[in-house]
Amino acid sequence: MRTLPRSPIGLKDAAVDLRGVTRLFGAAPALVRVDLAIERGEAVVLRGPNGAGKSTLLRIVATALSPTYGGGSVLGFDLADAREEIRRRSELLTHRTRLYEELTARENLELFADLLGIHHHVVQRALERVALADVADERVRTFSAGMRQKVAVARAIVRDAELLLLDEPTTGLDDAARSAVDEMMLHASREGRTLVIATHHAVAPGLAARVVTLRDGSVEAGS
Amino acid sequence: MTLAHQATLIARKDLLIEVRGRHALGTLLPFAATVLVAFGFAFGPGRDVLERVAPGLLWMAVLFSAVMASRRAYQTESEDGALEGLLLAPIDKAAVFLGKAFAVTVELLALVIAVLLLVIVLFDLSIANPFLVLAAFVLGTIGLAAVGSLFGVVAESARTREAIFPMLVLPLVAPVLIAGVRATDLAAAGRSSEVLSWLGLLAAFDVVFLSVGVLVFGYLLED
Repeated sequence: MRTLPRSPIGLKDAAVDLRGVTRLFGAAPALVRVDLAIERGEAVVLRGPNGAGKSTLLRIVATALSPTYGGGSVLGFDLADAREEIRRRSELLTHRTRLYEELTARENLELFADLLGIHHHVVQRALERVALADVADERVRTFSAGMRQKVAVARAIVRDAELLLLDEPTTGLDDAARSAVDEMMLHASREGRTLVIATHHAVAPGLAARVVTLRDGSVEAGS
Repeated sequence: MTLAHQATLIARKDLLIEVRGRHALGTLLPFAATVLVAFGFAFGPGRDVLERVAPGLLWMAVLFSAVMASRRAYQTESEDGALEGLLLAPIDKAAVFLGKAFAVTVELLALVIAVLLLVIVLFDLSIANPFLVLAAFVLGTIGLAAVGSLFGVVAESARTREAIFPMLVLPLVAPVLIAGVRATDLAAAGRSSEVLSWLGLLAAFDVVFLSVGVLVFGYLLED
């Protein structure tokens, strides 16, 4: 078995350890000197008004964005130097589903499964878990927004990542789709995965989560 | 998983989207045919003139089609944030570049065959050495696809990407246009020994831009 390198910095048991993270878009600050520590296996809900910096924070942890100043580690890997190691172990789920419209739901999932060396039977199981097995061979462009989000949830299930980053995962979903997302979060939490959820809504009932409140790009409470 | 396997998966995905979306058949071919017919009218009915300018017109049609095909390859990625999905997938980012370049090359070669037949019929172009003409187009389209796939990702981040992309690509592919037209002209005239140096230039261009793409694409994709 290959031993993955660990960063010398970062708290040993921290899933996320951010120090003084600032992110500017042009001259406008989206995050200002954010310090945040999240333990492995912990569930954290990010709260705050629109524009508070929740999505930016999640995208920095996912390595989709770089901090303008500051840094830290995710799952023990340095944010600046070990991005691919972080990406190997984390999944970011946002309202943008990142699906290809001309491909079917199954083809979309199998593409990522193939790229990551995951067997196709995992894809089938994930489609069944989000109740999309019946329409799995239809093109995504015929799907409603809720069904697309369910495909994205199925992709997160396929990935089975150590760290799940969820940005408004239930916005615009009907009750059935919301239940699928809630079930996925509870299942991941029970299995010891770390969850960071940015949402204005109530999170899955039964999920014991610490609340971190952001306002104007800074942590107001809960860090 | 090897770089070649990952690139094959990306290329297969792009070609599948292309076949289902019928972009090449529905947009590129009518566009290329219209360009050729319009130039035919502009130069008048003189057969000598048309025969002389036919290689240049052919390459102009392929060049403009390459710009459109490369833009299209990234449009499908930006529709629902799919490019970010590829960024965050723990794969070699060079595979994205190579896969896209390969898919665009295949599309362009299919177009070249159709357009070549059109030029032979419309402009009465006789080709003494069809194998060398084909070699010029294979090498030329690889170069065009490499530059298009490399700068497609640069333009993707710009707000005015539709204007910026051709401005970035067209000056850079001037060597392909010059060498392609000369090689086609000489091969059509049966001056095979003189074609090889132009084919060498096209091959060198391919090696340079494929190598640059493999080396820098990952950095261009990052925030």
